[in-house]
Amino acid sequence: MFFAGIDIGSTITKVVIKNEEGILVSTAQPTGAEHRRLAHEVIKGALKKAGLTFDQIDFIVATGYGRINVPFADAQVSEITCHMRGVSWLFPGVSTVIDIGGQDCKGIKVAGGRMRNFIMNDKCAAGTGRFLEVISDTLGLKLEDIGEISLRSDNPAGVSKTCTIFAEQEVLLRLSEGVSVEDILAGLHKALAGRIHSMVSKIKIEKDVVITGGGAKNAGLCKYLEERIGFPVLIPSEPLITGALGASILAQEMAAKTSADEQVKKERKLEAVTFFDKED
Amino acid sequence: MSDLKGLARAAQIYRGRHERAKEIKAGGGKVAGYFCCYPPLELMTSLDYMPLRILGDMNEPLTEADTYLPTAMCCFYRSVLDTAMKGRFDFIDAFIGAHACDGAERVSYIWKSYLKSPCSFYLDVPHTNHAASIELFKKQLMYLGEELEKTAGKKANREMLKQAVALHNKQRSLVRRLYSLNKGDPPLMSGSEILQVLIAIMCIPAVEGNALLEEVIEEVKVRAGGPKQRKGRILVWGSLIDDIALTGLIEDCGLNIVIDDTAIGTRSFWVDVDETEDPFDGLAIRYLDKVVCPRTFRDTKQTRMEDLDNRFGYLKKMVKEWNVNGVYFNIIRNCDIHGYEIPELRDYLEGIGLPVLVIEQDYSTTALEPLRTRFQAFAENIG
Repeated sequence: MFFAGIDIGSTITKVVIKNEEGILVSTAQPTGAEHRRLAHEVIKGALKKAGLTFDQIDFIVATGYGRINVPFADAQVSEITCHMRGVSWLFPGVSTVIDIGGQDCKGIKVAGGRMRNFIMNDKCAAGTGRFLEVISDTLGLKLEDIGEISLRSDNPAGVSKTCTIFAEQEVLLRLSEGVSVEDILAGLHKALAGRIHSMVSKIKIEKDVVITGGGAKNAGLCKYLEERIGFPVLIPSEPLITGALGASILAQEMAAKTSADEQVKKERKLEAVTFFDKED
Repeated sequence: MSDLKGLARAAQIYRGRHERAKEIKAGGGKVAGYFCCYPPLELMTSLDYMPLRILGDMNEPLTEADTYLPTAMCCFYRSVLDTAMKGRFDFIDAFIGAHACDGAERVSYIWKSYLKSPCSFYLDVPHTNHAASIELFKKQLMYLGEELEKTAGKKANREMLKQAVALHNKQRSLVRRLYSLNKGDPPLMSGSEILQVLIAIMCIPAVEGNALLEEVIEEVKVRAGGPKQRKGRILVWGSLIDDIALTGLIEDCGLNIVIDDTAIGTRSFWVDVDETEDPFDGLAIRYLDKVVCPRTFRDTKQTRMEDLDNRFGYLKKMVKEWNVNGVYFNIIRNCDIHGYEIPELRDYLEGIGLPVLVIEQDYSTTALEPLRTRFQAFAENIG
């Protein structure tokens, strides 16, 4: 049997297809306004990679901000539960998940594979991937490079602001003072790590700590976060897909609970979301 | 008057909250608008003032209030002042502000300065329940009565006040009966339905409110097609929820609201006024000492556990009777009173095995949707 998890995040859409043995394929691509609308295109890509057809998938769980835009999903589960499940599968000893997404940041407390508490910030861009995007734009650098560049500094610049807009102004100020780009980036990553750390500390950070989401791909951020936490953190080899992975694991569990009759391929249709232009 | 009955009538009043008050005014009656749980309704009713609970509006963008109030203040009272400055309460004959919290106090004074109600009174509510505080509060209530008498054109004697106490006590017992219908699983009423009924009875005269409550109870007792069974049976704790957009979102995420401890819910109705020889004694004790809100300080006990039991034991009882398996703390942004209470209450409830969800929300219907993920995640992991 085959199970799919589709995680439509604010920035990146992820798909995981698995069977009883484990993960078969995973994909990640930018969400964008059109992809949110065209969830069926996203899953087609993953199916092609796995050499499967849509009808072969037994159960689909959608998660992430765009979960309501997946008309062919059999169930929708919040990304908090999905991340928790995906990470627990990869790291059974996990106690704290820190997910640094494109537009929000979450801390999830896990005990015995169950969620005990969570905290999230989605009101402002401070502490999220968006902060790094804005800063890399301001400095004319690629998002994927800034973490590495920040590691070259041995004298992080002082950055007092974690508000994305004000931090941008502070970057310009430091540049005009002649501070090097490495030092500025190091300072910014340090400030961002501080912001995330203080938010997640409210639910008490305990071993093992796993960092996921796009933020986990930034070596500078992980280094400063680890420094603040005070002990080593774990990072999955594919930090983007833990939500989709959790969704696919839940798809497998839900399929097992669904009787054979009910399963006779619910009239699923692989089509675009249409409610955006419903009034036509 | 409307032909609708029971829940349908409650929903109608909820939607047009001031319609009945305006009808009464058009017929020569008088309306007294009041803040929170502290101004005694009996004083208004006995002088033929229709009590009208003043609420904000989660659908109305804040455009006027921030000229008068700091943005660091509670969003609810900013909204109250905002809608008042836009003329929503211009029709009331008496305004009764109260020092329920600092937000209510500020808005009461600004209201007195800028919004000219024929009668305007600021009720000083002490922050402790000591004997001296109750004595002071009793004096305050007598001043309020005198002030209302001036514009009511009549005086209330003890007998009239005692009758009003009996009428409002009847309302309280009906509301408690209403909540008791939610002890079974599934509950007979949704949180949104209860909220509509409670707001409705705060916007019509007590006699009509009692009749409405009786209709609703009869209707709901025998109903089929009430709320579905859901995984979560939750208690809502916090200052207040006054819009079904929020209760609806919570219930849509798989949680049934079966009971609450909020200022538009049980807090306003849970305890009767004792029928004392001097009615002002019963009123002062009930409204200051027996309304349980973190705005009133209660003496600490010997140990932390005794202290917590003294402050929150009533919630443990509610949890047991209504078979609650999770608690949602509804914190309106910048509500210090409830905010400071979170760590202790959270500890206490988690100590008896209840998961707690805390959300600080912006008192705006446009800001609700991002909360869906949190309620859904809470529901998925409950029970």
